[in-house]
Amino acid sequence: MRANFIFSEVWIGLRRNLTMTIAVVITVAVGMAMLGVGLMINAQVGLIRGYWDDKVEVSVFLCTKGSAVQACNGKAITQAQTTKLQEHLKGTPGVKEVFYEDQAAAYENFKQAFASNKPLLSATKVEDMPTSFRIKVADPSNYQSVIQAIQGQPGVSQVTDQKQLVGPFFQMLDKLAYYALAVAIILVLAAALLIGNTVRLSAFNRRRETGIMRLVGASNLYIQLPFIMEGVIAGLIGGVFAAVMLIVTKVLLFEGLGAFVGGPQAQLGWDTVAQTITFTMIIGVVICVLASFVTLRRYLRV
Amino acid sequence: MIHFDNVTKVYANQNRPALDHVSVDVDKGEFVFLVGPSGSGKSTFLRLILKEERPNSGAIHVAGKDLARLSNFKVPHLRRRIGCVFQDFRLLPNKNVYENVAFALEVIGKPRRFIRKVVPEVIELVGLEGKAHRMPDELSGGEQQRVAMARAFVNRPMILLADEPTGNIDPATSIGIMKVLDRINRTGTTVVMATHDAAIVDSMRKRVVELEDGKIVRDQSRGVYGQAY
Repeated sequence: MRANFIFSEVWIGLRRNLTMTIAVVITVAVGMAMLGVGLMINAQVGLIRGYWDDKVEVSVFLCTKGSAVQACNGKAITQAQTTKLQEHLKGTPGVKEVFYEDQAAAYENFKQAFASNKPLLSATKVEDMPTSFRIKVADPSNYQSVIQAIQGQPGVSQVTDQKQLVGPFFQMLDKLAYYALAVAIILVLAAALLIGNTVRLSAFNRRRETGIMRLVGASNLYIQLPFIMEGVIAGLIGGVFAAVMLIVTKVLLFEGLGAFVGGPQAQLGWDTVAQTITFTMIIGVVICVLASFVTLRRYLRV
Repeated sequence: MIHFDNVTKVYANQNRPALDHVSVDVDKGEFVFLVGPSGSGKSTFLRLILKEERPNSGAIHVAGKDLARLSNFKVPHLRRRIGCVFQDFRLLPNKNVYENVAFALEVIGKPRRFIRKVVPEVIELVGLEGKAHRMPDELSGGEQQRVAMARAFVNRPMILLADEPTGNIDPATSIGIMKVLDRINRTGTTVVMATHDAAIVDSMRKRVVELEDGKIVRDQSRGVYGQAY
């Protein structure tokens, strides 16, 4: 009896305020989708960053004969200097592993990287390749001190930190995530206000009913529940649309992005998407309940 | 059943009290007319019984409960024991007679079986048998007020409050309404009726409490509307 009665009241309320209900559903859907996208970008950035932290190295290029770099003085690094440098690198705090890349290995990498550029390939010989040490750093956020310790050592031509190359990309992704979250917060606010207004209209439309309910001694919960349920149902429908949008975003956007910057390891998993959807739905419903409840306290004296 | 002890009520932003040190006792099963000019405090008296308003001073007991100590949470339970009828009927226009009466039971969570059994009985008691499926706008004023009385009485309240129930109804029809109220009173329900209708008060010969400027100026058993008029 009870559930039956409340649901029929909810249905009447939603139907009477159809346009407002649609507005609530759309706002909640877009707001929650933005919130979800923001969270998913954050998770994706974390994944890609982890992937790259694993891959990114500090490259220490060594002097070759005729090097134009001032520190080399045009002379190639000597065997003794190389050995000494290797010892120094291994002794530097924060360094995890050190690899030596000779000219042949460097040429192989070069061939791979510029496979499409035939003229450049044919003009470059193995002897043109610089030898280098590749360093893996224990703490990826601590590149700077390692680089400082290496720079200026005899025989070192140039130290490059690959992190500087991917840094701007991460920054852009971070900005995107913050942007999505900011839009989400504004939309959530708009959704709360809209729900408040919808509930207010509903309460006004049904002031006769609620007046009589009060008079015959219906409990506060019984009087308020249909209104709160209206908010919750609108919020849930919005949440379902948001879930669909998030799934589409994952398929169209994140799978491409993950594949582009990191391959299968950097792919955002479906479990993350499911978590995000659950989280945004809960947030959406909680906001709807709160907005309804606060409005009712003001406009439905019990 | 209803016990007012030195009750004063002053509405916010008003200097003159709506009720001024009123003490009155209504016993179980009594029928009381509350008379007096507009603004004399009749409606305030009824609203205080329902705990829709709180007195500024004095104590009110209804059905053995001290209203000052009744928590807001329990007010609905108090109201379930009090039925109310108004001048403007307050029916739901989109529900028929049966649904209007059943509504009062649905919203306090009564089981469907109970509602199906009780509602037709009450509709018969107020004399609307055969009209259960009419909509309010298909009924006369007197019939609409009978529906309102059925709704007020369907939960078998201990007290029935009527605020000028015949105010919108012609004198001939009013007699029928009063018969229903009398019938309800005979089941043991205490009835308090605020009214301007001298003819009705005079014909019923029940207890009369007269208010003027918030004070009780007369309390007479088997009284008439006004001796001085």
